Amino acid sequence: MLPDATAIDKALAAIGSAEVATTTLGLEVRVEAGEILAALEALKGGQHDFPMMVDLFGIDTGEAVDIVYHLRSLSRDEDIYVRCALPYKGELNSVWNLYPAALLPERETAELFGLTLAGHPNPKRLLTIEGIEPLLLKSVPIRTVEEVRDR
Amino acid sequence: MSELHDTTYEPGLLAEGTFDPGEKPAGIKRIPRGVEHLATEHLVVNVGPQHPSTHGVLRLLLELDGETVVNAEVVVGYLHRGIEKLGEHRRYHQLGTLMDRGDYMSGIHAELAAAMAVEQMMETEVPAKAQWLRVLMSEINRIASHMVWFGTFGLDCGAMGQFLYAMRDREALVDVLEAVTGQRMMFNYVRPGGVLADLTPEADSAIRTFLRTIDGYLDEHDALLGGNEILQIRVKGIGTLDRETAVAFGLTGANLRGSGLGYDVRRDRPYAAYPELEFDVPVGTTGDAWDRYTVRMGEMRQAVRMIRQCIDGMPEGDVMAKVPKVLRPPAGESYACVESSRGELGVHLVSDGSDMPYRFRYRPPSLYSLQALEEILPGRMFADAMMLIGSIDIVLGEIDR
Repeated sequence: MLPDATAIDKALAAIGSAEVATTTLGLEVRVEAGEILAALEALKGGQHDFPMMVDLFGIDTGEAVDIVYHLRSLSRDEDIYVRCALPYKGELNSVWNLYPAALLPERETAELFGLTLAGHPNPKRLLTIEGIEPLLLKSVPIRTVEEVRDR
Repeated sequence: MSELHDTTYEPGLLAEGTFDPGEKPAGIKRIPRGVEHLATEHLVVNVGPQHPSTHGVLRLLLELDGETVVNAEVVVGYLHRGIEKLGEHRRYHQLGTLMDRGDYMSGIHAELAAAMAVEQMMETEVPAKAQWLRVLMSEINRIASHMVWFGTFGLDCGAMGQFLYAMRDREALVDVLEAVTGQRMMFNYVRPGGVLADLTPEADSAIRTFLRTIDGYLDEHDALLGGNEILQIRVKGIGTLDRETAVAFGLTGANLRGSGLGYDVRRDRPYAAYPELEFDVPVGTTGDAWDRYTVRMGEMRQAVRMIRQCIDGMPEGDVMAKVPKVLRPPAGESYACVESSRGELGVHLVSDGSDMPYRFRYRPPSLYSLQALEEILPGRMFADAMMLIGSIDIVLGEIDR
């Protein structure tokens, strides 16, 4: 289930910002937002062979939006989490060329965290209509002040 | 031959060389030139969201060249309730209620994923009996969910009879679920630490009654729909997803196994009481709609096999571990996944040590299946589009969340 940390470290040697750590979740790699494509490319092909993107989502950490790429190797049944931090209202670079599975989750993440999508073939909103605030940001309440007052 | 034909035959407008369009009359934009020269412009056809074949509120934009689909776009979001946001404002016990409303066809699986994610963080030991009950109810729920797919897949192809039989069998299963959980769809049965209640004697006898007939019924269903030559001709070879495409689009469940890759969370990452059960994982060969059909039919038979083992081997004991009234998992993250009726259903929880999750992520298998739909629709006829929606078995409740 857990990939070999030293092999992953070696594979990502060319990416300067990569930090490999083992947490309660499993093996996590944190890279800078600009190097996410290079990191995923190094992990996808070759001997590391993580051909499947299980999930892509964001976490509002209070300082930035963490984008989590959950990758899986089916041949060895191992999972790895790649993370990068984006500033609020930042730009989410699409990885759909590497992982077509990212097409819809990227649209969802971008709209629900107030990010702009770059390099996506269809960068529209997915779930909500124009004018809805980025719902999953901690700064957006589930009820407005007026709604609480009139309840 | 006869006089009649000789007298009534007249060269019409379409006969070559006999029709001179002349001056364009006022108000007519296009001069009729006969079928040879008819313009075949591409049409964009809107399908849904209120269309019975879209299995909920899916909307499709199909670009058609004649009757052939050249491009497809899915439009979702009509059922968006913000389950992930609401989950950040609920206690850990209450997540199951939200999960039920995600994938409403297989609520037990969704609850189980949420409960397992909480248990991982709390390091709760779940009693053996609860683990077996979780498997039993999961498999009952799986057949009930596949019965809806089976019935509506036939409806998409133009068959009606099997829908009525499938609903009859689903009724029997839903009655069992109701007898045990109190609800027909929104169960709220699997809780962190165990399950809500033990089997009642009525539920136990209802399951045994069901098991006496289901094998014959499943053969009957398979012969009724799958044995039909018309259906086989229509379904075989369409919507082919090879292994690489299926993996690239993140497909899981029967859609992935139809492509020949036997990845099953129940077998490869065992949870609950699955390691103690015997079952096979049916796989397809080419990954067309017919393979996905046979894999799901095989899954139903395996589910019946597992229900038998659960009824026979159910251990004695408590159904609930001792868990605090208010759960406060330590700060950290966890990911738990189960094999739902539609694929790998995952819950990713981020805890900050308080009584509510900091981030609650619901990984919907249908969302990933839906992306493959955009890939397999182009090149098919418009009538096949409806069957392909049915063949990937999506539930819009979990796509929109």
